[in-house]
Amino acid sequence: MSPLLDMREVRGGYGDADILQGVSLNVAPGEIVAIVGPNGAGKSTAMKAIFGLLHVRGGKITIDGEDITGKKPNLIVQAGVCYVPQVDNIFREMTVHENLEMGAFLRSGDLTSAYDRVYGLFPDLQERRKTLAGNLSGGQRQMVAMGRALMLDPKVLLLDEPTAGLSPRYMEQIFQICRDVRDVGVALLLVEQHAKQALAFSDRGYVLASGANRHEGTGAELLADREVAEMFLGG
Amino acid sequence: MDFMELLNFYIVPGLVLGSIYALGAVGITLVFAILRYAHLAHGDIATLGAFIAFAAVTLLGLPVYAALPVAMVVTAFAAVGIDRLFYDYLRERPRIVTVMASLGVALMVRSVVQVIWGVDAESYIRGIARPENWWGIRLKDREIVTILSMIGLVLALQLFLMKTKWGKAMRAMSDNPNLALLSGVDNGKVVFLTWLIVGGLCAASGFFLGLNTELKSMMGWQMLLPMFAAAILGGVGRIEGAVLGGLIVGVAEEVSVIFLPSEYKAATAFAILLLMLLVRPTGLLRGKVL
Repeated sequence: MSPLLDMREVRGGYGDADILQGVSLNVAPGEIVAIVGPNGAGKSTAMKAIFGLLHVRGGKITIDGEDITGKKPNLIVQAGVCYVPQVDNIFREMTVHENLEMGAFLRSGDLTSAYDRVYGLFPDLQERRKTLAGNLSGGQRQMVAMGRALMLDPKVLLLDEPTAGLSPRYMEQIFQICRDVRDVGVALLLVEQHAKQALAFSDRGYVLASGANRHEGTGAELLADREVAEMFLGG
Repeated sequence: MDFMELLNFYIVPGLVLGSIYALGAVGITLVFAILRYAHLAHGDIATLGAFIAFAAVTLLGLPVYAALPVAMVVTAFAAVGIDRLFYDYLRERPRIVTVMASLGVALMVRSVVQVIWGVDAESYIRGIARPENWWGIRLKDREIVTILSMIGLVLALQLFLMKTKWGKAMRAMSDNPNLALLSGVDNGKVVFLTWLIVGGLCAASGFFLGLNTELKSMMGWQMLLPMFAAAILGGVGRIEGAVLGGLIVGVAEEVSVIFLPSEYKAATAFAILLLMLLVRPTGLLRGKVL
């Protein structure tokens, strides 16, 4: 299957120094792909590079064959990639429903089916549509953040550490939500700090270190790899 | 002093003054919430609005109240123009640079007013307005119009912010600018709308100050401190807070005259500002921005 999202030999950084020293990865339709690696490996940076939040100096990023390298975020959104930042990913002073409305800001016409899909995925949110998003629990906020991103009907959803700061119970819930999102036809690429759990539930994974690819394979393969295990699981 | 006397001579004038401050404070709080800086030219843009209304009355021969919408529209576009000319290219610089630039704009706008209209006091209508008696409360027509217009304008603004697509985009930009940009909101359009609204509100506050007192080139500058005190008192970033803060500062200034020589009236706003910053810097209704 040809990849939906394809990132080849991407180099770049925020200032003059390159944080990414040539990262390649791809996501096929219907896949959940995890990026893991030690702190400072460039995991989140790789994600930001896809979303045009970073100066990309080399390599190429395509979505469905369309070149999106270095494009502005609003154009990348229109190409079918939505991004959920790790922190500050909701509008706290707006209601749950308004958060979803902002997610659909670029869309016009009837949005009923988009709302139905998001509320179908997150019944918790349906009950709390008039609640200010800032008053929700951590797990529910993450649902709002993902729901907002799903309103544009993306082909690929990028999640930057969706389980950061959440209790193990919520972590499992978020992973389940990711599977549900995948099942409605959206591919997912996520950066995860909890490498072991993330690899266990993802279809494939990439291990980054020092801004470059170190290992790649299916979740199970990576978990079985001795070097990867030493890196994350303390030997 | 009996209660009716307190009401008629201090509370009612305080509410009128407070409504004028409220219109300014709402603008200050909007600039703070969306653009994240203290706008020091706010008072002088109000002066400009007041004098544009004066020009509409004297040059075009419009009735006084018909001059208000004219002044609001012209001042709204003047505010957008000021933003484009002086603030826009400072957007990426530290905020304090824009604050200082706004002080320069304040001096400049005031000088323009002085060059065109002179430094003498003017008024929209000549003659003395008599108060009507409403069950013991004495109110002049213009005082009723001032209070009702403030309420009407603030409600219209709230409705715009809560119900319309671009109103929501403005709230989103205030709430989480990065996420608003990721959602595809055009920052330039939000800034444009903000100045349009703020300019209109400035003109209204200047107009009503001129209507209830007189027009002077320093009128707006002298309102700046009470307007900031009102915005901070109510909680920066909160429209309803700015209204509440404006009314409290207005009434406090008028009531202070009972205890203090009237020369110290302006110091009341300063005292409130100082007290709030020391005791509860987030304001009465917890501010969103500070």
